[in-house]
This record gives sequence, structure tokens and C-alpha cells, in this order.
Amino acid sequence: MNAETLTLVLVVVTALGFDFTNGFHDTGNAMATSIATGALGPRLAVILSAALNLVGAFLSVEVALTVTNAVITVQDADGAPKPELVEGGGHALLLIVLAGLVGGIVWNLLTWLLGLPSSSSHALFGGLIGAAIAGLGMSGVNWNGDGSKLDGVVGKVILPALMSPVIAAVVAGIGTWVIYRLVVGVAARFTENGFRWGQIGTASLVSLAHGTNDAQKTMGVITLALIASGHWSHTDAIPLWVKVVCALAIALGTWIGGWRIIRTLGKGLVEIDSPQGMAAEASSAAVILASSHLGFALSTTHVATGSILGTGLGRPGAEVRWGIAGRMVVAWVITLPAAAVVGGLMWEIGHVCGTTAGPIIVFLVLLGLAGWMYARSRMNAVGAHNVNDEWQGTPSATLPAPKGVAA
Amino acid sequence: MIDNLQFALEGAWKVLLAGLVLGAGLPAVFAVGIRSLAFGRGGSAEVDEQAAPHPIGKVLAGLCFLVVAYGVVAGILIVVVSGMGKEISFDHVWPQISEKS
Repeated sequence: MNAETLTLVLVVVTALGFDFTNGFHDTGNAMATSIATGALGPRLAVILSAALNLVGAFLSVEVALTVTNAVITVQDADGAPKPELVEGGGHALLLIVLAGLVGGIVWNLLTWLLGLPSSSSHALFGGLIGAAIAGLGMSGVNWNGDGSKLDGVVGKVILPALMSPVIAAVVAGIGTWVIYRLVVGVAARFTENGFRWGQIGTASLVSLAHGTNDAQKTMGVITLALIASGHWSHTDAIPLWVKVVCALAIALGTWIGGWRIIRTLGKGLVEIDSPQGMAAEASSAAVILASSHLGFALSTTHVATGSILGTGLGRPGAEVRWGIAGRMVVAWVITLPAAAVVGGLMWEIGHVCGTTAGPIIVFLVLLGLAGWMYARSRMNAVGAHNVNDEWQGTPSATLPAPKGVAA
Repeated sequence: MIDNLQFALEGAWKVLLAGLVLGAGLPAVFAVGIRSLAFGRGGSAEVDEQAAPHPIGKVLAGLCFLVVAYGVVAGILIVVVSGMGKEISFDHVWPQISEKS
């Protein structure tokens, strides 16, 4: 295997790794509320969500080859990579993509360790932006688009991130308030049961939409790498095997379940009852579907979190833990720059170490960091068994309480 | 920058409007359905356990759930159709699928 092929293989593996973290990072967006209210058992919930993500990923027949165009300038408008970046087996482009993916994965894992629902798309975009700045300079980034449509870092990332949680919170808040007004006089045991079905239906819709939106991004990135290295030449189609492995990776990730994030969303932010759960997921589903229908790019995570917050605000007397909400907002704000810093650093490492060793060393650094964070997470593991325990604090990277102390 | 802000605000209020109709409106209809179902069943479904059953409530509940089901099917259609690279329009209430313009 020569150096170019090896680099390509590393890019594909890393992209699938990102897709996997994308799956488990976002399980909670769809299923946290159903798990918290007991509408679905934790295991059943993640299996349902994984299956729908798989179906959703296969539904995305439309080519998502231009995914990087939103934030960086390594491709032309039709998806073909810039000719100057594909000379000599496409190493220049592959290294940017590899470094960007590593930035996205590292940030996804760190926020997962801290139990924070940050946006996977922001992590990916951030990593790519950092790698592009390191590799191509400031001109490598598409900051504002060309003014003809919503585009660039500002239009596709920053503005939607500011607006979408607010929209979702308003919709969920009003929905919750109206629902509670409408069912006054109905016994709680009756409403709980009815709304559980509503919850399951709406959460399933969110899962399906997630599979369609997010798996596409990885498919686009892998196909771009294949084109850059001369292994694929169509800019209007994605190889079938890419579609299959991406769909499987995101579904597998979802099935593993990001329990730490599920717990924060379902138990930490607000205490949720079934009617609230349904209001929150209905708001998420409607906002996600409406915006993808209207071409308004947004993050599933921001919408889901905004909805859950809104449902806490809409129910009189419900408690919203603002400390946790504040931590999430901080995580959102720093996701893009932090992933960019990692992406940029990785590009420098890969660049300094040469075309053969560079990508291998970057990959090893990724494995090392991922392994360390996984080991750290085992110290206070969150899983299906304790995801719904009484909320006593954020599952953070802090060490577990000493033995003998009720933790 | 200014262009983007304008496009974003344009998109945002449409999303908000659609979100309110589908994301808050449909759950409200669902809640009316639950309310009607309880009214239809009477007895232990209501806070006042002496409430008599009212068959009309069940009919009303059925109607409400139909409306909600239509909304859910429409949602799935949006996912499927846009995934296949086509366009869907709800201008005539009943969804119409066409090639992307």
C-alpha cells in the first residue's frame, strides 16, 4: 500500500469514526425525553432511534457532495475538488479533511465526556475551518458566501445557531402551555398514557430526520476524498458502499447511545412529564423538517435543546436548571472555535511530519485522545441502568465521590 | 454579512410560523383528542370520577387523531421526498410531489 492509499484509508476510517460519534452524540436529541418520562425503556428507545437513523440515512438519495462548501473553499460549486489541491494523489486535500475530521471527533468526545449536548455539525465544520486556515490561510474559509443566498460560516452556521434554539423554545413553550390548558380536568393517569404515544411518534420523526440530514454529511466528505485521490469521478453520485457504511456507522453510534448526554437532556435541564415530552419533540420535529424544507441549515442539537428548555418554560411551576442551560450555551459558543483549534493543530502536525508519516501520526494522536477520554468516562459511567436516576449534578469529568459517601 | 442576516431573518420567521402551526398546533389538536377521549369515556378518565361517558367524545377524538396523523404522514413525506431530491408542496393541502425546480 503506498502513502496516498494509506492516507485515503485513514480519511475514510476517521470519517466513519466521526459519523459514529455523530450518532451517539445525538441520540438524546430524539430520545432523551421519551426515556426520561418512561414512554420507552432506555434500551428500546436507542434501538428504535438507531433503526430510524438507518432508514433515514438510506433515504438521503440526493447527493450531499458539496457539504464542505458551506464553510471552506476546497471544492467547486459542482462538488469537484479544486485542481490545485489534488495534485500528487490529492494529499493536500486529504490532509485538510483528515485534520478537520479529527478536530470534530475530539470535540464531540470531550463534550460527551462532560455530558454536554453540543452540535456535531458545528464540531465538523469547526474542524474543517481550522484545518483549512492552517493549510490554505484565511482565504480557505467561506465566511460569508457570495451574497446570493444564505451561505458561509455566518449564514450556514452562526446565524442559524443563534436563531434556531430560540425558535424551538418559543414553539415548545407555547405548545406546552396550550396542551396543559386543554387537558385541565382530565385525570393525570389518563393523559400520561395518551401523551406517551404522542411522544413515541414525534421522537421517531426526529430520529428519521436526523438520519437523513447527518449521515449525508459524512457520505459527502468520504466521496470528496475518493474524488480527490482519483478513486471516483462522478460529482453527481455517491458510491453505494459509502452510503451503506455511513448509514451503518451512524446507526451503530445511535444504538450505543450517548447516555451522558441523554441524561443531561432528559433529567438535567428540566424535569419532564409526557405532555411536555410530546410538546418538545413535536416542536423539534416541526422546526427541523420545516427548516430543511425551506433550505435553512440548522443543528438538530440546538433545536432539541431549545425545545426541551421551552417546554420547561411553558409549564407553570416547572423548574429549569439555568446553570445547566448556561453550561450548554457556553459549549455551543466554543464548539466551533475549539474544534477549529484542534483541526488546525492536527493539520500542522500532519504537515510537519511529512506526507507519509504525517497522516499516520495524526491518526495515532486521535486514537490516543479518544482512548484517554473513553477511559476517563468509565470512572463515572452512565448507561441504560442509571440514565434516569434522580438528578444530583452534571455527569462531569470530575472524579467520582469517594467510597462510603452517598454519590 | 448584511445579506446573510436578511436571508436568515427571512428563513427564521417562516420556520417559526411553520413550527408554530405544526409543532405547537398539532400537539394542541392531539391534546383536544385526549380531552375528548376522556370526555367520551367518562368515569375514571376524568378528575370527577362520577362523569358519565359521552359517545360523541370518541368521535371527536377520532377526528383529532386523524388530523394529527395527517401531519405526521406529511412530515415523513417531507423527509422522504427531499431525500430523493424532489420537491413537495402543500399549497393545495394534499401534498404534491414534483421535480426540484
